[in-house]
Amino acid sequence: MPTIKIDGRTIEVTKGTTLLEAAQKLGIYIPRYCYHPKLSISGNCRMCLVEIENAPKLATACSTEAAEGMSVFTGTDKVKTARRDMLEFLLINHPLDCPICDQAGECGLQDYYMKYSLQKSRFRQEEKVRRQKRRAVGPHLVLDNERCILCTRCVRFCAEVTKTSELEVMQRSDHSYIDLKEGKALDNNYSLNIADICPVGAFTSRDFRFKQRVWFLKKTSTVCLGCATGCRMTAHHNENTIYRLVPLPNSQTNTWLCDHGRMTYKAVQAGDRLSKGVIKNGLIDLEPALREAATRIDEAKSEAAVLGSPWLSVEDNAALARLAISALKTVNFCFEFSSGQGIKDGILVNEDPAPNTAGAGLLKAAHGGVSLEELSGRIASGRIKVLVTEARAAGLVKTALKTSGCRLIVFAQNRSEIPAGAYATLPYASYFETPGTFINYQGLRRRTNPAVRPADGVKPLWNVVNKLAAYSGTSLGLDSAENALKDIKL
Amino acid sequence: MENILLKDNVADLESYFASGGYKPLKKALALNPARIVEEVKKSNLRGRGGAGFPTGLKWSFIPQHAGCLRYVVCNADEGEPGTFKDREIIRKNPHALIEGMAIAGFAIGANHGYIYIRGEFSAEAVLLETAIAAARAKGFIGKNILGSGFNFELFVHRGAGAYICGEETALLESLEGFKGQPRLKPPFPAVKGLFASPTVINNVETLAAVPAIVEKGGDWYASIGRGKSAGTKLFCVSGPVKKPGVYELPLGTALGDLLEKSCGGMKEGRRLKAVIPGGSSTPVLTAEEARDVKLDYESLAAAGSMLGSGAVIVIDESQCMVDLLRVLARFYHHESCGQCTPCREGCGWIEKILNRLEEGKGSPGDIDTLYSVAEGMISRTICPLADAMAMPVMSFVKKFRGEFEAHAAGKTCALRTALAGKSEAEPGSAI
Ligand SMILES: Cc1cc2nc3c(=O)[nH]c(=O)nc-3n(C[C@H](O)[C@H](O)[C@H](O)COP(=O)(O)O)c2cc1C
Ligand code: SF4
Ligand code: SF4
Ligand code: SF4
Ligand code: FES
Repeated sequence: MPTIKIDGRTIEVTKGTTLLEAAQKLGIYIPRYCYHPKLSISGNCRMCLVEIENAPKLATACSTEAAEGMSVFTGTDKVKTARRDMLEFLLINHPLDCPICDQAGECGLQDYYMKYSLQKSRFRQEEKVRRQKRRAVGPHLVLDNERCILCTRCVRFCAEVTKTSELEVMQRSDHSYIDLKEGKALDNNYSLNIADICPVGAFTSRDFRFKQRVWFLKKTSTVCLGCATGCRMTAHHNENTIYRLVPLPNSQTNTWLCDHGRMTYKAVQAGDRLSKGVIKNGLIDLEPALREAATRIDEAKSEAAVLGSPWLSVEDNAALARLAISALKTVNFCFEFSSGQGIKDGILVNEDPAPNTAGAGLLKAAHGGVSLEELSGRIASGRIKVLVTEARAAGLVKTALKTSGCRLIVFAQNRSEIPAGAYATLPYASYFETPGTFINYQGLRRRTNPAVRPADGVKPLWNVVNKLAAYSGTSLGLDSAENALKDIKL
Repeated sequence: MENILLKDNVADLESYFASGGYKPLKKALALNPARIVEEVKKSNLRGRGGAGFPTGLKWSFIPQHAGCLRYVVCNADEGEPGTFKDREIIRKNPHALIEGMAIAGFAIGANHGYIYIRGEFSAEAVLLETAIAAARAKGFIGKNILGSGFNFELFVHRGAGAYICGEETALLESLEGFKGQPRLKPPFPAVKGLFASPTVINNVETLAAVPAIVEKGGDWYASIGRGKSAGTKLFCVSGPVKKPGVYELPLGTALGDLLEKSCGGMKEGRRLKAVIPGGSSTPVLTAEEARDVKLDYESLAAAGSMLGSGAVIVIDESQCMVDLLRVLARFYHHESCGQCTPCREGCGWIEKILNRLEEGKGSPGDIDTLYSVAEGMISRTICPLADAMAMPVMSFVKKFRGEFEAHAAGKTCALRTALAGKSEAEPGSAI
């Protein structure tokens, strides 16, 4: 456990801790480009140079381990000069096309230049090394080699995190450039993280670029519902539109996001988003749709069934449970779904594609009900006349539904989700629009936070359930999400 | 004194053996390996690849716990402009290198050795292969060497022509099949070198001196030379002297003696202007500074330069310093591996400024910029290639500023104009 001093402040760190990490613990920020906490140390950018007492040369804080008695200085003239020089070197061959660069506003070069340099260029514009400008390199990314500072974060990400090694530094000297290895495309399921970790505008997201200047974006931390891992993330949005999702690194689940998860916001603002009900194939207003659905449920009486959904929040599942128990007074309900074995790709993606299998299970724990097989069997044998469920959960009993003549009443967000043959479809607010509690595969409880407002008339699912019950003459008393959770032990 | 390394008539195994070759190996195999390391320490032999690190000390860093693979690697990349001594050893005395590597292997407990040879040295690579085959046939290389139970295999690996692969960790990367780029240090090769195993890496000249040290003792070797600069050194003299070439002399020989006595002085009508004493990476000395300096590690350091690889580049009054530096800058710009910001960007910037000056497009401010770009590169990179660019720039500008100013003001190279048409004075020919 070496004890060292940084800028006169003492800190004891575990063996192997680097100066950069030790400084971070003290709240002292050392500028860096190539360093990334989750990647191997490359030490190439030389931005993190610091002075060590009695050492003849400056040392890279990212790669130098703390040794007993070291005294480190991060703000001496020597250090400041080095930082200014590094920035000058990085900028001489940089195109400086900030006005048309999508990274502007969150660019490592812009930020550090303002903070550590502000020096006038001594380089002749016409002598700049030219490199290839933008081109698509895979489904999600654009690469502009001219803006690249060759920090190799992208190369190391592909080699060390996804282990797909698509990228390489070609050539050498100031002719170096990042390129795909022969025969490769940058199409791994984590490629968009590269746009995040690239400190400059070299790698940008095809989805996000030119949609919005970053300084207009507002940020809401939330949870990805792309699978049972339940990664934390931040939704970036402005004027009620989401523009991108970025990871919110945490020690429990994720540093990164998978590309699938990143795109989950798309459905929320897709053209086929439902704000009205659907009866058979026709769009109608929500109220008549609810009335129609309620009528069918009343007809079926105790031959109606409710299937919860691992894609819905605990609150919304709780509302469905109350519908079954208090309004339908049926024993035909199920909140039991099978999960997988956990992470399936060695990185983040879960075998269980549903985000809340564990959360739905809480309703089973509280109220019992039948198993999915049992319910399927009852549907298939014609004993269920109406099934109320969520669109993706309906898929779990698809085969049983096909031949049974059972009427399906589903909750769906997008038209494309509606299962074939659905009798009535009711819209509800997505979890980018309403808070919801989810329990991931490890049993971690996480809540989504609304980043945007749903379209007029689109309500959280528990609220729609409350109305549905009211049409059948039962008051479920669901006046808030908290209330829905009343009899659940979280 | 008698040459230790550059000998005639020892190129083939029979004559090498006849002159006492491979006796040191036999002697070494009977010793405790630690004794050999001690003897090399005592000899004060220092690395001849450029940095001058004490060889015995380097060997002693190799961890000795059982069960770990270790390697001996010979750096025969010889890429430093002006240097052509390792090639000479390989041509004239290859078995001294092979024997030295076997002894080094035994001393540190390595059963495998690699000679990484510069790609352009194709004839020498063949020569080494032949010599190793001959040594193997006689049982000096291979399994159970001379009945000692010690196994040592030796392989020749050809580089592909990158100067940076002479830097020891880039060499290891290249040897492992990767792009030749220096590694971050620590860990040093002695701890984590070739294939992540403890590795000793030495220059050809360093390893070739080992058999004589084992044979005649560390004290004997230490007695040659001057102070802590022990032994003989090969000096590669290029430029307008009467007899350029490779000379083996004790360290501490006066530079003047090397030029006058060994090389026969300057060519007719040429006057000495400057000397780069240790290969293109080392700071230049003016004729004045060069006159009395001694060729050893300490003396050259005191004179503000370095012994380096022992490549003595002689520059005369007819040569343009700006042009010479431009040739160097072109080289380093081309050879930078491009990892570190200052080296990647700085080498090219320096070359561009020098091109401007040389082509008459410069301005007076360029000289200070040139100097400060070099200052911005020095001591701030993963390997010393950036320093190798910066040191010549800083010393050239400091010591020959007048020529740079004349270029900036006169908008062209006065020397070049004066010498136009004279084929003898090809600018930059010394390098
Ligand atoms: C850019 C660069 C090029 C180098 N080229 C060579 C070379 O060609 N041959 C060599 O022996 N050492 C070269 N070196 C030095 C090696 O890194 C290393 O110090 C040497 O091989 C160690 O051997 P020694 O201790 O016997 O000198 C070079 C160093 C640098 C930084
Ligand atoms: S593309 Fe971006 S992440 Fe990759 S090396 Fe260049 S600057 Fe670094
Ligand atoms: S791994 Fe799962 S939770 Fe994480 S980003 Fe991907 S889909 Fe979302
Ligand atoms: S100093 Fe130059 S050659 Fe050496 S590692 Fe850095 S970029 Fe490569
Ligand atoms: S952050 Fe340390 S060298 Fe790049």
